[in-house]
Amino acid sequence: MGLLQFITRRLMLSLLVLFGVATIVFMLTRIIPSNPASLYLGPRARPAEIAEINAKFGFDKPLIEQYGQFLKGLARGDLGNSLATKRPVTKELGSRLAATLELMSVAMLLAVIVGIPLGVLSTRMRGRLGEAIVRVATVVGVSLPPFWLGLLLQLVFVHALGWLPAAGRVDGSLRFTAPITSITGLNLFDTLVTGNFVAFYDAFRHIVLPALTLAAYPIGLITRMTRAAMIEVVSQDYIRTARAYGVAERRVLNHFALRNAVGPTLTVIGLTLAFMLTGTFYVEVIFAWPGLGSFTVRSFLNVDYPSILGMTLFGAAGYVLANLVVDACQALIDPRMRLA
Amino acid sequence: MFAGSLASAATEAMPEARAGGNEYAGGPDSGNEYAGGPEPGNELAPQRSTWQRALAILKRDWLAVFGIFFVLLLLLVAVFAPQLAPYPTMGEGRSSVSTRMQPPSAEFVMGTDRLGRDVLSRLIYGARPALIAPLIVVLLAVLIGAPLGAIAGLAGGWVDEVIMRICDLFLAFPSLLLAMAIVALQGPSLVNAVIALAVSWWPWYTRLVRGVAHSLSRQAFVEAARALGAREPKIMFRHILPNSVTPILVQASLDMGTVILATTGLAFIGLGSQPPAADWGLMIEDGRALLRNAWWTSTFPGIAIFLSVLSFNLVGDALRDLFDPKEYR
Amino acid sequence: MRKPSTLVRLALLVFTAVVVGVVSAQSSTVLRVASTAAVTTWDPSLSFSTEAFYMANLYEPLIWANAAGSDEQFTPALATSWELSDDGLSWTFHLRDGVKFHDGETMDADAVVRSIERHKAIGGAAFIWEPVDKIVAVDDLTVRFDLKYPTPLDLVVASSNGAWIVSPAALDAAEEDASYFEAGIAAGTGPYMLAEYQPDAEVVLRAFPDYWGGWGDVEHFENVVIRIVSDAVLQEQMLLAGEVDLALSLPVTSYQSILDNPAYNVQTVVTPYSYLGFLNTLRAPLDDVRVRQAIAYAVPYLDLIAVGAEGFASQARGPVPQGIFPWSEEIPQYHQDLEKARALLAEAGHEGGGFTLHLTYSAENAIERAFAPVLADGLAEIGIKIEIEPLLWNQQWAVAKDDPENAQDIFLVLYWPTISDAGSDNLWTMFHSSDAPYFNLSYWKNDKFDDLVDEAIKLTGTDRDAAQALYLDAMDIVYDEAPGLFFFDYGGWFAIPTYLAGYEYNVNYPFATFFYPLHLAN
Repeated sequence: MGLLQFITRRLMLSLLVLFGVATIVFMLTRIIPSNPASLYLGPRARPAEIAEINAKFGFDKPLIEQYGQFLKGLARGDLGNSLATKRPVTKELGSRLAATLELMSVAMLLAVIVGIPLGVLSTRMRGRLGEAIVRVATVVGVSLPPFWLGLLLQLVFVHALGWLPAAGRVDGSLRFTAPITSITGLNLFDTLVTGNFVAFYDAFRHIVLPALTLAAYPIGLITRMTRAAMIEVVSQDYIRTARAYGVAERRVLNHFALRNAVGPTLTVIGLTLAFMLTGTFYVEVIFAWPGLGSFTVRSFLNVDYPSILGMTLFGAAGYVLANLVVDACQALIDPRMRLA
Repeated sequence: MFAGSLASAATEAMPEARAGGNEYAGGPDSGNEYAGGPEPGNELAPQRSTWQRALAILKRDWLAVFGIFFVLLLLLVAVFAPQLAPYPTMGEGRSSVSTRMQPPSAEFVMGTDRLGRDVLSRLIYGARPALIAPLIVVLLAVLIGAPLGAIAGLAGGWVDEVIMRICDLFLAFPSLLLAMAIVALQGPSLVNAVIALAVSWWPWYTRLVRGVAHSLSRQAFVEAARALGAREPKIMFRHILPNSVTPILVQASLDMGTVILATTGLAFIGLGSQPPAADWGLMIEDGRALLRNAWWTSTFPGIAIFLSVLSFNLVGDALRDLFDPKEYR
Repeated sequence: MRKPSTLVRLALLVFTAVVVGVVSAQSSTVLRVASTAAVTTWDPSLSFSTEAFYMANLYEPLIWANAAGSDEQFTPALATSWELSDDGLSWTFHLRDGVKFHDGETMDADAVVRSIERHKAIGGAAFIWEPVDKIVAVDDLTVRFDLKYPTPLDLVVASSNGAWIVSPAALDAAEEDASYFEAGIAAGTGPYMLAEYQPDAEVVLRAFPDYWGGWGDVEHFENVVIRIVSDAVLQEQMLLAGEVDLALSLPVTSYQSILDNPAYNVQTVVTPYSYLGFLNTLRAPLDDVRVRQAIAYAVPYLDLIAVGAEGFASQARGPVPQGIFPWSEEIPQYHQDLEKARALLAEAGHEGGGFTLHLTYSAENAIERAFAPVLADGLAEIGIKIEIEPLLWNQQWAVAKDDPENAQDIFLVLYWPTISDAGSDNLWTMFHSSDAPYFNLSYWKNDKFDDLVDEAIKLTGTDRDAAQALYLDAMDIVYDEAPGLFFFDYGGWFAIPTYLAGYEYNVNYPFATFFYPLHLAN
């Protein structure tokens, strides 16, 4: 089937899936003994006030009715208000999205910049010590607990060496000395574009450790994938032909082999995005990064229903979208994919 | 999700374009990556038996040996924890206020934690949840997922569609997110974490087995069995499931590492094991405030988690190498 | 020699850039703070939680309460003087002249009346105004409170919650739109204005130029940037790395290393926080007072203080925290005595223990998390097994209130009084009988205790000593009947960098930090 048909079909399926996700999580949030009203009002809420809040938000209505309300709100794009911050959940998500996107992009960039060349390099060193080292390094990368790695990096680079800051996106006093004009919300980009190099430098220093922590697993994954893909491709006939014709090894690898290894690498990138979504939970908590990850963890710990729902939906939607894009790219490259 | 295995990567990549054989390894992640292996293109190498190949792998790949050794060690420690731990009561959680936060010494080889408990003993007892919880998660996931996958693959048609859509539904969540939601709402505990993770994990095995069933059902001997009047369940049990064992084994061993990270991660956030249980993730979180003054409380559990995940990954790699028919091409 | 590849060169560049760090220095105009204080609401009436941290800098009450042992009990704020009528039913406050709100409005009696009426109507801490019958603006600068019964109203108007004076213009706007304040609006008279607010991330305060207290005496900070960091460990790192000047929640385990650090002065303070445990008096075997007393004798009090508070606590005397009325050294307390405990258990028919109790604590509370296992171990000594279940505070409380018969056996809780009166707060709120449990989570019912406390509350406004005596009698009953276990009064400590001066902790406002007095030391 054509690419367009493929995408359309997948899109519809995705919507169905998201609907199911929303329903499941909604049911989960409503079936437990908790007290959303006291989260809203604070730890000393009096019974009368609790009753009032329950009535106001409909927490005491039957499940079906609440579900109906929820669906109606969803259709409007309204996910309700966070019980903790009293602001619309969509606003909370929106205000934090840029921070997480920035972190994920930098980590992804790092993973790709380090991973792909490393994977290619290791195929050139077949049978030698270098290859073994790379293999160990990649397996180590995918085995390190991200929450522990973050702590270690903090211990070394913040405490012991004092080179890097411990937390946050920018220094607290920066807003007075070199304020950032926010265009996209991505600090690195905004500061570069407006020529604010002091702020760029500060933002950069703050993102190094969190991005490194987040990138460890993807680096391992991407390196292995590239390497495996390269090996697979290198053993193909046409490669041998190119070699027989005297094409330089370097060109053989970079030009022929790499191009064909891109497909499965895309898959891994898709998977990496999924990992990163959950990796941000740990990283943002450890480095107090004001993004979606830390917000999600806090919402879960507070049992802040609307936020939990919103974040889960959002995460699922993002994941589904990423998968869709990856699959579409692959379908583009490999027509066999479309035989779905 | 934490799909640490490239096998599942391959499964994701080409769900339909499978050319038969072991689909789980149908992607380019297979292949001979080990140093000193046969040169690519050495198609003339003779086929050896599984045992012979296993031995060959062990001989040349010391990492695999290390992995297997450590997994066995872990198993041993988990089973014989009360005998191996120098202070078993401390391992179970009994506090000892007089011996708080002591650095490693002859008396307490890895030091003591905030409640005065011997870190080594806690580490040993922590091997139990670290090993058993993921084992249960994977087991549950396989028990739920594999039969569903076989049914989907064999039946085809709308049964297949329905099961796959339900799979998609669960796969749409990053599994940790779903697990966190379930645990947060049901109450933080290791049991809830295990259930939550199992609920998120089974779709992978469904897809796996479905792939096997799909390809096998097109093969001649299954057609023959059908022609001879064999009923579907029989086919499932006699042909599909046994043929799924090896890919499931590979996937499972790779998943163990990922699930260990998930359970300890949940404990770290506060949504898994609760004090005074001995859980490595919990120990890291407890020791976090002490990182500067009492580094041993967080560091050793971290190393333990790392080595465990590492060895399961290595074993999974070795298994995949073992069962991959494309090893010699 | 081969040229290093671009990758290597890039890596070197990154490396050097990272190492040659510009450490942001502390400045004289910006104070950088790390705090755990989350904002649940910006509404000065509804506010009843951690946002008091900010509120105390944005708003002011009529008078501030001073710490126990000060020369004066109160410091005038928006009221310069006050008097009590002879019958104790009327309090008159004389207001300060020439005070402006952040939005330019003038502070007068009308503003006071409207603010307090709003607090009384919808406030989170509305109950503190319960004794007030009428509030009258006698003239522009005089306000009179008419009470239903004698009450220490000076303590009430100095409350850390629900006593802020708000600009009438803002009150008008809030009447139109109930969530007027939530966007991040503050309309008080305090020294700082709310400049910026990013939820769970940052709060920025800016000096209010027309503040009645003036800015000339010392070099106050023009801007305060508060980063909301819920993690004590992270706060410590930020402080030591110089990213913040003040970190208000440091891990208690770091006390010694910071004490040894010459860059910081450490202040230790008495806080109104206390840790206690409710025993479920409705259920066997805890319905037997001897069992309860046995448990009280078995608690390893000193161990709890060592583990939970790293020594920063003193053992509690009843439910009243040290330093807050009606605390007194005469209040009896238990000490660990395993022999007595075992004897009592045997007497009650539970020789050697042999039963299991279900304990809940708040999963978010690191201190409870630390000492709950130690408590369990202590009780194990007399043969009682404890099942520990951490629940998120909301859930823990919900479970305890919904179904007392089937709720927990032991409920660990951190408590503090809303106003500086732990008789009408702690004693009454936690142990006065109530039909629908609110904070009486031992579900205890004792008429004699109820009567004593009710009477004492009435007397506090007029005859404090008599009230104290009655409270002492009431606490004797609590001691004998042991509906609760009283662990420790939590002390606090703060690490103040040597370059910072003016930090003072006020036990009556435990959630707040006052930025106005802070300045660079010379």
